[in-house]
Amino acid sequence: MTFDCKDLERALAVPELLPDAREHAKVCDACRRELWLWSEMSNVAPGLRQEWDTPDLWPKIRETLAAQQKAARPRSFDWRILAVAAALVMAVSVFVVMRWRPGSSAPAARQDSDFLTEQTLKEVEQSEAAYRASIDKLSRLAQPKLNASDNPETIADREKLLVLDSEISEVRSTVDRNRFNARLQTELAVLYREKQDTLKEILQRAQKY
Amino acid sequence: MPLAMAAGRVKARNDADLILASKRGDLSAFEEIYATHAGRMKSIAFHMLGDRADAEDAVQEAFLKIYRGAGAIQFDSHLAPWIYRILLNCCYDTGRKRRHQAEAPLTVEPAAQENAPLQVALRHALGRIHPQHRMVFWLFEVEGFRHSEVAAILEIPEGTSKKWLFEAKQELKRLLTESRS
Repeated sequence: MTFDCKDLERALAVPELLPDAREHAKVCDACRRELWLWSEMSNVAPGLRQEWDTPDLWPKIRETLAAQQKAARPRSFDWRILAVAAALVMAVSVFVVMRWRPGSSAPAARQDSDFLTEQTLKEVEQSEAAYRASIDKLSRLAQPKLNASDNPETIADREKLLVLDSEISEVRSTVDRNRFNARLQTELAVLYREKQDTLKEILQRAQKY
Repeated sequence: MPLAMAAGRVKARNDADLILASKRGDLSAFEEIYATHAGRMKSIAFHMLGDRADAEDAVQEAFLKIYRGAGAIQFDSHLAPWIYRILLNCCYDTGRKRRHQAEAPLTVEPAAQENAPLQVALRHALGRIHPQHRMVFWLFEVEGFRHSEVAAILEIPEGTSKKWLFEAKQELKRLLTESRS
């Protein structure tokens, strides 16, 4: 290929042409200067990088994160304890009531105390559907409030809702495999109740401000 | 754990391990992420904002957002592009808040070691080219990212990153040639 000055631009875009361009530059001052400038830009560019010490920056970030963690921790601790306690109380109550029901002293072929009847299951599922509808409605109202702010309280609320959602989905998938299990249904109801209360609390707080 | 120690063992745990540990509230893991990326982040933020205090604010805000967002990141995604995307957004926000123009001209506070005439001219010329071209030039030539990384950070195709770099260098070459003649 006969390389000409007008081919230089194309050679800069197509690396395969660069050897020809360099060859041509040996006899052409203008192209030599252009080629030198092209590669020299890349050579000097890293020197433009700014570096300076900021010994206070990480401690400031760590302090803020620690404060946020602290603000979030007691809230999530309280509700978890509460949820577990409520689930236990309800499970024990169901067990005691079923165990001491007249005529239930002899073990049945299936342990009625641990399982729901078709009728009860229907009621439980209706009440679950009502919870879900109410939660969906509350979520739609609370979402803009949750997105609007990044204060520690809102962050804690967001985290709590995330944890609740993941626990609900976990329990739900277990319930789907064992719909008649009273303990699981109770646990699910407690979690729904907790989510509903949390969303109500967020909306009430938003109204105050 | 002191930062210097963290910096020394940055490669001991990979990005996925670090973000997983950060998700669990392990601040020392998060400090490793900081040690790996903070220097480059400050430089980019300074390039965009033209002021060290603003750059530090943007980096701080970015790390707070990264920590909060750690729970949402997918493990199959790369950590670095996500981190730098958050940084760029924080810089735009900081720029707006301070009523500066985001990606301000680069004439303030030249680098301490900057003494070569070409380097001075290049810094000046960079302030005059198209902002998108400038950003690609900065990330590729100054910060040393690969085209695949630049593309992921700016959410553009890799081919566009290459094209914009070429166009940036063409513009710069023209400006530098004009200033020299």
